[in-house]
Amino acid sequence: MRTKIRAVSFALTVAVWLVPGVGSGQDGPKPLRAFDTLPDWSGVWAMVGGTVFDRATQTGQGGAISVGVRSHPPYNAEWEAIYQKHLDLRDKNRFPDTISNCGVPAGFPRHFNLPDPYEFVVRPEQVWVLTENGPNVLRIYTDGRTHLEDQWETFTGDSVGHWEGDTLVFTTVAMKGFRDKDVILDRTGLVLSEKSRVTTRIRKINPATLEVQMTIEDPKALTGPWVVTKQFAKQPAGTRVYDYGCAENNRNPVDPTTGETLILSPDGTPLNR
Amino acid sequence: MTTDRLIVTALAVAGLCVCAPPANAHHSGAGFNNDKLIEIAGTIKEFQFKNPHTWIQIMVDNDKGEKIEWSLEWGSPNSLGRQGIRPSTFPPGAKATMRLHPMANGAPAGAFVGAKFDDGKIVGRWEE
Repeated sequence: MRTKIRAVSFALTVAVWLVPGVGSGQDGPKPLRAFDTLPDWSGVWAMVGGTVFDRATQTGQGGAISVGVRSHPPYNAEWEAIYQKHLDLRDKNRFPDTISNCGVPAGFPRHFNLPDPYEFVVRPEQVWVLTENGPNVLRIYTDGRTHLEDQWETFTGDSVGHWEGDTLVFTTVAMKGFRDKDVILDRTGLVLSEKSRVTTRIRKINPATLEVQMTIEDPKALTGPWVVTKQFAKQPAGTRVYDYGCAENNRNPVDPTTGETLILSPDGTPLNR
Repeated sequence: MTTDRLIVTALAVAGLCVCAPPANAHHSGAGFNNDKLIEIAGTIKEFQFKNPHTWIQIMVDNDKGEKIEWSLEWGSPNSLGRQGIRPSTFPPGAKATMRLHPMANGAPAGAFVGAKFDDGKIVGRWEE
């Protein structure tokens, strides 16, 4: 019986490596770090603070939808003008949140700017950052592979990294950014271009806090690196994470013609009008 | 709708902590007037304990004796469930007074803040 299992396992492994495309971008097999030497990030975590993406540079009082609130990334003049336009729309409830209609990922780096629980699943070959809100999955490959040279852009991009002691270091490329107007960083209207690249360092700074430091480069939108740090607090033991079926009963869709977030009656009639 | 014979009491927000679980985790809450807090009283019709946000449907008499259905938006069932809220928290037929941030245009909807049932049970934020 054991011999049969081994044979099937070997055959499946060979089959996976023979599938065209699988293994592309690999530098070749590298020894993986032993599971029991990896840091313990188990449990449930939640972002500290509100959803203004760069709280360190925030001006104005309140949250991301409050009039006058904004961050100050090192935008060039063209992208500062884009942001200013978004801020003006936000003040009029006309800046649509791309996730309010349900169905698309939050994207990266907004992945680290969501309410509700997070889980950080650490394995030798990958780390998965799961968010209840969305839901979203960020896969970070730590098996030695590199980015594909011809990687196409997606919401969350492509992330590869390695361990430096107990700090996970990874780069994320091939993000759509605001190219198709369906990825934002927060509801103030912060956006990046499809040329952005993020280097992220995650480490536990004390038993109850994970720190995520992102260095964002975007030659199209920024004049220099933009460093944003987020913290995640450990939730009580036993905290459960649930389904987030966004389309289950979405009574707050965005009007595609005006960008206004609607409030629907039980029969679907917009109450804003 | 503003002429309804609702038990509507404008309360000064100052001094009141209206820190109910956020109703805007999934969308902008700009449609609600967060500077205004009102009360309505009626009979629970339904508690929609579904994502992305829960909605409390409550029937309220207006000054013409007509039944008006109000929609009160609250947090996600996930976050509320972790705080002990359940689908049975607002049973159909129960009578309660609700506090909410109303819609700016006077439509019968708002962001839920707190409830006091006729039997004295409190849900959400309710400071006397």
